[in-house]
Amino acid sequence: MSISYDDIGDKLRRIVISGRLDMPGTDSVASTLGELVAAPKKGVVVDLSSVQFLASIGIRALITSAKAVQQRGGKMVLVVTGGSSVLMSLEATGVDQLIPVFRNAADAERAAVA
Amino acid sequence: MPRGQQSPDRPAGERPALPGFDELTIGANGAEARRASVWLATACRQRNVPQAQVERLTLCLEEVLANVIVHGGSTALSAPISLLLEVGPGQDREHGHEKGSGQASVTVSDAGIAFNPLFVPKKILPATLGEASAGGLGLVMIRRCSDWLDYRHEDGRNHLTFGARWDLR
Repeated sequence: MSISYDDIGDKLRRIVISGRLDMPGTDSVASTLGELVAAPKKGVVVDLSSVQFLASIGIRALITSAKAVQQRGGKMVLVVTGGSSVLMSLEATGVDQLIPVFRNAADAERAAVA
Repeated sequence: MPRGQQSPDRPAGERPALPGFDELTIGANGAEARRASVWLATACRQRNVPQAQVERLTLCLEEVLANVIVHGGSTALSAPISLLLEVGPGQDREHGHEKGSGQASVTVSDAGIAFNPLFVPKKILPATLGEASAGGLGLVMIRRCSDWLDYRHEDGRNHLTFGARWDLR
């Protein structure tokens, strides 16, 4: 399980998570994710294309993060591989309708700062 | 013959057929839930369960185990959780055997507080991020990712079964 980030200019932060967002995996990254989305960037892209499994506890962490970004006037979007089990989890819970989901990073970055 | 044993009169050199079920006992914690997920995925693939159904079943298992661990109380945490995977031909509940289909089911047995998820009203999904609550998504996922759910409480234990079907044609 790993989480990393890079800032692209003044307005955008990209966060990359890899591994399994199940109970132990989410426990290990949730607080870091919370700290990273708190940075005063307009847009936040969370790249989940290297996440192999997304349980509801991981979705909970994503919702909490997206709300925090929204409350400070920003926008959080996700990058997810098409046809993956991660996309299935987001669709099954309807969260793909609440947090914008993109298949590629470039589209996601544009949307996050739009 | 006890479940899971091979017949002793199998011809020499013939590959043993996998039994139609697999069992695992785990402790009630996140690391054990991860072990169960790996076990389920491996056992399903050995029985040629299609990948899409494997993914749905492993998601359901994770959510069921999370419910037991978080909401099952102290008895759930101190007693082992039993898992049973059964794979076989698809069954049409009204008409019996359904030709050309398969199904896999997982039964999770735990000693926690009696909880029948079938009695829980369906959650209305929020329309906006602002309306979204972070809780209650596990049961949404179980319902969406399974083709059927069964529950019984017997001998002081919850027995929750979820399953997935597929078409072989």
